Amino acid sequence: MSEYKQAGLFDRVASLLDVVSLIPDDISDEEVEGLLSLLPPDTGHTMQALFIPRLRAASLAFLKMVSKWLFAARGAAREGRKVILLPFNFPPEIVHVFGNSFPITSEVLSTLGVVALEGQGERYWDMAMGLGLPDHMCSANTIELGSILGSDDFKPHAVISGAPGGCDVNAKIHEFVAHYLDIPQFILEKPTDDSERGRDLFNKYMRGLMRTLEEFLGEELDEDRFRMVMEKANRCTELYHELWDLHKATPCPVPNLFSLFLYGTRFTMWGTDEGVRTLQTMVDVARERLKEKSYPAEEEVARTLWVYTSYYYDFTNFFNWMEEKGYTHLGDGLDCFFPQPVDTSSMESMIEGVTEAAWNMPMNRQVGGESMSISWLEDIVYACQDLKADCAIFCGHHACKQTWSVASILRTELMKRTGVPLLILQGDSWMKQMTPMSVIQRDIDEFITNVVARKGKRKRRPRRREGQEQDA
Amino acid sequence: MGPRGKAMEEVIRQSEMIENDYVKKWKSEGKKVLGYTCVMTPAEVIEAAGLLPYRIRALGNPHTEMADAHLSRFNCSFCRSCLQLGLDGTYEFLDGLIESNGCDHLRGMFENWQYVKEFDFFHYLKVPHIMTRDAMEYFEGEMELYRKAIGEYFEVEITDRELLRVMEEYSLIRDKLRVLYEIREGENPGMTGAEALAVILLGSAVPAGVFLDLLDRVIEERRDTDISGYRARLILCGAATDEVDFIREIESVGGLVVTDALCYGSRAFWTVERGGEEDPLKALAHMYLENLLCPRMFDDYYSRRDYVLAAVSRANVDGAILVHNKFCDVHGVDNVQLRMDLEKNDIPVLQLEKEYGAKADLGRIKTRVQAFLEKIG
Repeated sequence: MSEYKQAGLFDRVASLLDVVSLIPDDISDEEVEGLLSLLPPDTGHTMQALFIPRLRAASLAFLKMVSKWLFAARGAAREGRKVILLPFNFPPEIVHVFGNSFPITSEVLSTLGVVALEGQGERYWDMAMGLGLPDHMCSANTIELGSILGSDDFKPHAVISGAPGGCDVNAKIHEFVAHYLDIPQFILEKPTDDSERGRDLFNKYMRGLMRTLEEFLGEELDEDRFRMVMEKANRCTELYHELWDLHKATPCPVPNLFSLFLYGTRFTMWGTDEGVRTLQTMVDVARERLKEKSYPAEEEVARTLWVYTSYYYDFTNFFNWMEEKGYTHLGDGLDCFFPQPVDTSSMESMIEGVTEAAWNMPMNRQVGGESMSISWLEDIVYACQDLKADCAIFCGHHACKQTWSVASILRTELMKRTGVPLLILQGDSWMKQMTPMSVIQRDIDEFITNVVARKGKRKRRPRRREGQEQDA
Repeated sequence: MGPRGKAMEEVIRQSEMIENDYVKKWKSEGKKVLGYTCVMTPAEVIEAAGLLPYRIRALGNPHTEMADAHLSRFNCSFCRSCLQLGLDGTYEFLDGLIESNGCDHLRGMFENWQYVKEFDFFHYLKVPHIMTRDAMEYFEGEMELYRKAIGEYFEVEITDRELLRVMEEYSLIRDKLRVLYEIREGENPGMTGAEALAVILLGSAVPAGVFLDLLDRVIEERRDTDISGYRARLILCGAATDEVDFIREIESVGGLVVTDALCYGSRAFWTVERGGEEDPLKALAHMYLENLLCPRMFDDYYSRRDYVLAAVSRANVDGAILVHNKFCDVHGVDNVQLRMDLEKNDIPVLQLEKEYGAKADLGRIKTRVQAFLEKIG
């Protein structure tokens, strides 16, 4: 395979975002138009979605944050520091706490590849398939990991696997990469036990992991650095809750795409200045829109909560299409990590704080719970009620075996407990081959038109038994 | 491929039924049956409570229409098939379920089964995915909760003494199964892979005493039997494979499955050794977690690889078939690594992904097995 190695996803995305980082914050419409004309079609398609005026400031803040993230990872490797590959359900601030390391997140890299690169992530997926990996792997991580395995891409020095207990496919593919590259794998299992015993075990696992990282990095945890990161993480937490609350207004002032920006920040630069800056920009934009009562459509037709992931392979035709139809995207399951402020008074309290954060990462707290269905359901019921959702959508990403295995319980119980209907779609969130965007759009349209919109208008008629006379 | 004696006939006949005659007799005596699925469930505790531990199986049942309304087509068809039998009444004889976190599909199967059927007794045995001191301590605690839950619900005291007695009986079973495998793996194999799977399958669906007796009789019958007429000696590795017919089909085209690394096969007993006398629950925790050769365990791939390599060498196989059910992630990925490592050791490999119980897959699979046998034999 080495004879034919190609440029990797990480390197290509990093090069592209190097350019984006040079774009001035006050770029004009004409300049955007000029920029878009220079880009290849797939990349241009995404940039077009990101640079529409209502999103531009936040998009730039987000892209510059991501650019810095990738740049810092490359810089860390050049300086002899260790770059650690994480799955999305592991809090990156734990790695930021160490001066000798830097985190990169496989699912975020896959998503960036899919949205920013010409040809999306397919060539990297094919590289993974070429090794014989099954086609029911999760494209969210397999695209990036395919690139690591099959191309001349940037390689991590170690893997933290945070998915045992939460997701088999995620945990297995990360383990495969560690074995294939012959790099260390550090495991943080999420016990599927909500009792004190489960918490206690997780606490022990976390402490063990931190000791292992200290040993691997040759660096003792530094209390001051820890505190500095946690204080910034706490600021991120405040902004998260402010953004959550802004979603409650009707019509929703938070653009649909912010859902992705929010967890994109969570999974990369939480606990850093760049993370704070990005979230602050998002909050500022949403506040301004609330003040101006701005909404992209004439009316807010439906408030949708996506119960797990969304679709990422076509920005323009997904997030913005929904918004322009009056379909608000209130966020998805990946936004449900409900961070709490970390007590920074001591090393001990900070370790407890990051342990709690790790326990509550998306997936960990839902399908990684003692009951996959009930833990997930409780979060979705809460989010639906708190954000006044009038419908919910399960994207049905085909590799999500855990969510698929209890989606029917979620649908039944969500309806029973809240009256919120759940649309179950089928597709691959990161690859366009499985279900075309036009089909997804049609299904959403039909659901909202025939189920959600009518639900509000329909008057309940009492059921009559056969033969019973109609009231006069 | 070889003659069947009376004992093997009985094993085959009983193993083809979900509710076999021994279960029926047990129930007719007013006794209870507890269902479990994973090899990591210490069945000794159930048996020591005077209950019959029954390892859930689907025996190749291809129908999943009721289960599909709960699980999805992206879930493993073995789990859907088991759930189908749970929902259609086949498993009505169960008095409760022990859930375990074998994989995401299995957990979903249990949750949906319980959601619909609402067993009065439903216990979740949580098994760590790694083997560390902390994990072991936790699992020891889980064993206490497991004993307590069964004891309290069924109003029976599970004493250490009874537990030790059952452990001794199970240990004897494992010893005899190893003898059975010696017969199977020897230079002149005394039984087919399909027969061996039938024996092991029946063993987790009957009381220990009954199985011990059957094992003695089967061993006696097969000790001097030679199977002939095969083209190649194979090892079968992979996922939850309780499909005797699947192995029969492989063997019908000339590949004799002389050993395996299946969770309904050797992985259920081979490395498990009887633990110490002091604290039986603690001993069980160690016996099960330390010997869990399942790809749902992490940081343990090399033990699984070495286990397969040892079996390959012991049984002098000509090739390996690695199988997993569609959408099974844990075996799907492990099998890729295993293929690479076996090939590095010059062992020819056929990797198969299949739908559980689907007859439609058989023709395709037989063709691939035939081609593989052409290549190696």
